[in-house]
Amino acid sequence: MKSVDIGKLKAIVGETNVRDNVADLYVYGSDSSVHEAMPNAIVRPQNVEQVQQIMQYANGDRVPIIPRGSGSGMCGQVVPVQGGIILDMKGMNRILEINPPDGYCRVEPGVVDDDLNRALKTYGVFYPPTPASSCVATIAGEIANNASGGRSVKYGAARDSILSMKVVMPNGDYLSFGSSTRVAASGYPLERLMVGSEGTLAVIVEACMRFVPIPKLRCLGIAKFNVLAEAGDAISEIMGSGCQPSMLELIDKIAIIAANKAANLGLPEVEAILLFEADGMTKDVIDAEMAKITSICEKHKCFGMESSYEEKERARIWAGRAKLFPALSKYDDRLSSTSLADDMAVPFSKMAVTADKIHEVAEKHGLVMTAYGHCGAGCMHTKILMDTDRDFQWEGARDAVAEIYDFVRSVGGTTSAEHGIGLSKAAAFRKEKASSLELMRAIKRAFDPNNILNPGKLMDGPDDWVEATNLRYQVSKAGVQ
Amino acid sequence: MKDLAKIEKWKLALNKCIRCGYCYEHCPIYKSTRWEIDSPRGKLILLYGMLSGELEPSDYIASKIFDCFHCNRCFKACSSGVPLQDVYNDARAFFLESGFDVVGTTSMTDHDACARCLNCVRMCKHEARKFVDGKIITDRLKCQSCGSCLDICPAQGVTIQHGFGTNPNELLNEVHSYFSNPDNKDAKAIVFSCGYSSYPGLQTAQYDKFVISNEYKILVTACSGRLKSNTVLETMERGAWGVLICCCPEDECEHGGSPRVKARMKSLTSSLERLDINPKRLQVVEVPQGNPAKFTSAANAFMEDIRNIGPLV
Repeated sequence: MKSVDIGKLKAIVGETNVRDNVADLYVYGSDSSVHEAMPNAIVRPQNVEQVQQIMQYANGDRVPIIPRGSGSGMCGQVVPVQGGIILDMKGMNRILEINPPDGYCRVEPGVVDDDLNRALKTYGVFYPPTPASSCVATIAGEIANNASGGRSVKYGAARDSILSMKVVMPNGDYLSFGSSTRVAASGYPLERLMVGSEGTLAVIVEACMRFVPIPKLRCLGIAKFNVLAEAGDAISEIMGSGCQPSMLELIDKIAIIAANKAANLGLPEVEAILLFEADGMTKDVIDAEMAKITSICEKHKCFGMESSYEEKERARIWAGRAKLFPALSKYDDRLSSTSLADDMAVPFSKMAVTADKIHEVAEKHGLVMTAYGHCGAGCMHTKILMDTDRDFQWEGARDAVAEIYDFVRSVGGTTSAEHGIGLSKAAAFRKEKASSLELMRAIKRAFDPNNILNPGKLMDGPDDWVEATNLRYQVSKAGVQ
Repeated sequence: MKDLAKIEKWKLALNKCIRCGYCYEHCPIYKSTRWEIDSPRGKLILLYGMLSGELEPSDYIASKIFDCFHCNRCFKACSSGVPLQDVYNDARAFFLESGFDVVGTTSMTDHDACARCLNCVRMCKHEARKFVDGKIITDRLKCQSCGSCLDICPAQGVTIQHGFGTNPNELLNEVHSYFSNPDNKDAKAIVFSCGYSSYPGLQTAQYDKFVISNEYKILVTACSGRLKSNTVLETMERGAWGVLICCCPEDECEHGGSPRVKARMKSLTSSLERLDINPKRLQVVEVPQGNPAKFTSAANAFMEDIRNIGPLV
C-alpha cells in the first residue's frame, strides 16, 4: 500500500478537511456492500482548484484516488482495495444554477438527490433518475453508477438526463464534456462515457442535467398475483403493448413480508405484487393508460386490483417500496440482507423465468432470495438473506451469484441495471463484456495512464468477490451448524 | 479494559445494519459536520470495528459515540430495525466502565464557577445531575444533551463541549456572518428552531446550502429552552429586524424547555415594549415534530409582520 503525504494534503485543503485517524479510515473503508478495505486518508475538497492539486499530487506519487459521495453504493465501488485517498465530494454541495428557460440545472458533485429535487420543485420540475436511496445519494455518485429508479421506465436513467459535465483528470487538467443544449450531434459523447464509469476515468466536479415538468396527476395501482410467473408475463405484455407507465414495479412474497414487517404496510402476502403508475397532465389520458394496464393484469389472473390518485395513499404504498432494501433485514431475525447479485437487467419477456430461476438457485444453496425491482425498465433486483457469520453460507452465496449471472447472460440480460459493478459483480461483468474488455482498458489508459483512479474495479475487478477484500461481517470458520 | 460483552450482545443488530446510509439525513450531528464518522451509520461501523478487532477502543471513538443529541430520529428512520440508541447506551456504558473520561455532547459543570444553587439538579427532566460531595456531577449515561441546564445556570458554569452549532457563541457567530455578508442584502430575520421538533420537519423541506428564503436564516438550537434573552437581544443588535423561535408543543417537549423559553420570551417582549420596540419582532410558535407545513406557514406569517414593521433602528 502506498504511503500518503498527509501534510501535503492538509496544505491543499486545510487542516480540517483531512482525516487520517484509523477510526475515520475504517468508517470510510466500507459502503453498503459486503466489502471493506482501509484507505490511507480522507480528503474533502471544497473547490475545483483543490481537486486539481490533489490529483496532481496523487498522479505524481501514484497514489490511488477513490471519489466518494455518500457511500450508499451496494457493490463496493468506493471500497479502496489498494488503499489510497478517499476523495469525499460532499464538501462540494452547492446547487449552482436552476435554469427553467433552458431546461437544465447545474450542481456540484456532492448535492444530495432529494435536496436537488426539493429545490427544483419550486420551479415545477424534477430530476427524474431518483433511486430509492435519493435521501442520501449524491448526484455525482448517481452519475458514476448510472443510477435509476422507479420512474426510469418512463424518464430514463442518469445517462438519459446528463447534458454536460466538468471533470478533473488524473493529471489535474480541468475539462468540459458535452453541451448544455438538448441535442449535440458530433464527436464522442464523453459526458455519457463518464456515466457508469464508477470513478475510474476522471473526477466529476460539476454536472449539468436536464429536468422534466412534474406531472399534474399521478395514479398508482396495485395488482396481486398468486403465481409469480403470471406477474412476469404481465410485465412483458404491458411493455410490449405500447403502454407507457411512469412506474412498473414487481415485489415478490419474501420482499412483501419484509416490507410489511419494517413499515407495517399491511400489504397482502401473495406470491407477487405489481405496482404501476401512470402520470400526465390530464386525467383522461391517465385513465386510459391505467385501464390498459389493468386489463392486461386481469388477463394474467391478477386479483385485488386497486388504484388511487390520492397523494397520501400513493405515498403510503410507495414508502414500502422505497424502504424495501433496508427492510429486507427484518425478514428473519437470524438473517441479514446482503447486496449480492443485487441487480441485473433482462428482456421483459424473460422477467418471469428470471424470477423463478432466482428462487430455484436460492433453494439449491440454502439461501433466501427475493425478486423485486423496476421491471418496467427490465431491472430485476435480488438480495441474499443469510446468516452472515457462517462461512458455508458465503460459499453458497458465491455459487448462487455465479449461477444467477450465468442465467442472466443466457437470456440476453446484463450484469447491472443500475447499482453498478464495483467488486461484487466484477467477475460476471468481465464474462459478459469479454469481447470489449481490452478496449475498455485502453480507454481507461487514455484517461488515467497511471491507473490512480479507483483501481481494481469494473474490468479490473476481482474474479472472486468473496476473497477480494475483508468481508464486513465476522465470518466464523467453524463450519456447518 | 473491560471486555466487550456489552457491545457483543448487539452483534446481530450490527449485522442487520445494511449500511444504506438512510439515517444520514435524520442526524443533526452528521448534518452539522458532514463527516461520515459522525453519522449513526458511522457510529455502528465503529462499534463493529471494535468487535471484529480491527479497531481498538480509543478516546476518539468514545467521543464519537458520546456525540449525540438523543433525538432518536436515526432509530425511527431505520427500517432495518436496529435499536441504535440502545446500542449506543451500552457502548457508552462500556467506555465509562473501561475508564475513558469521555464527554462528547454531555453537559458538564465547572466546579469553580458553580454557585451550588442546584437549579440544574432540580430542573433536569432526565435526573442526570446529582449533588455529590459539594459538587454537581453529570450522569453521562442519563444526560440527553438537551442543554437545558446551560440555560438555567445563573453562574454560566455549565458547558457542552461539542455543541455542533447549538452553543450560544456558535449561534451568534452564525448570526454575525449572516448579517455581515454583503451577499445577504435581503436578510431580515433569524429563526431559532428546536432541534427536537421543528428541525426534523425542516429536513424534508429545505437544504442547508439551499436558501428557501433570502430573508431569514434558520439556526438550530438543541432544546429551544436553551435560548437565552441575551442571545435574542444580541441577534437583534447584529442586524435582525426580528426573531422567530420555534419550540415543541408543551405536551411533546421531552426536556421541559418549551414552557421556559415561552415564559422567558414573554418577559423579554414586555421589556421590548417598554423600550418602544414592537413586540411582534419577537415571536414564539409551537411546531410539532415532522410538520414542515406548520413551520412554513408560521415563518411566512412572521416575515409578513416583520416586513410591515421594517428595520430596527
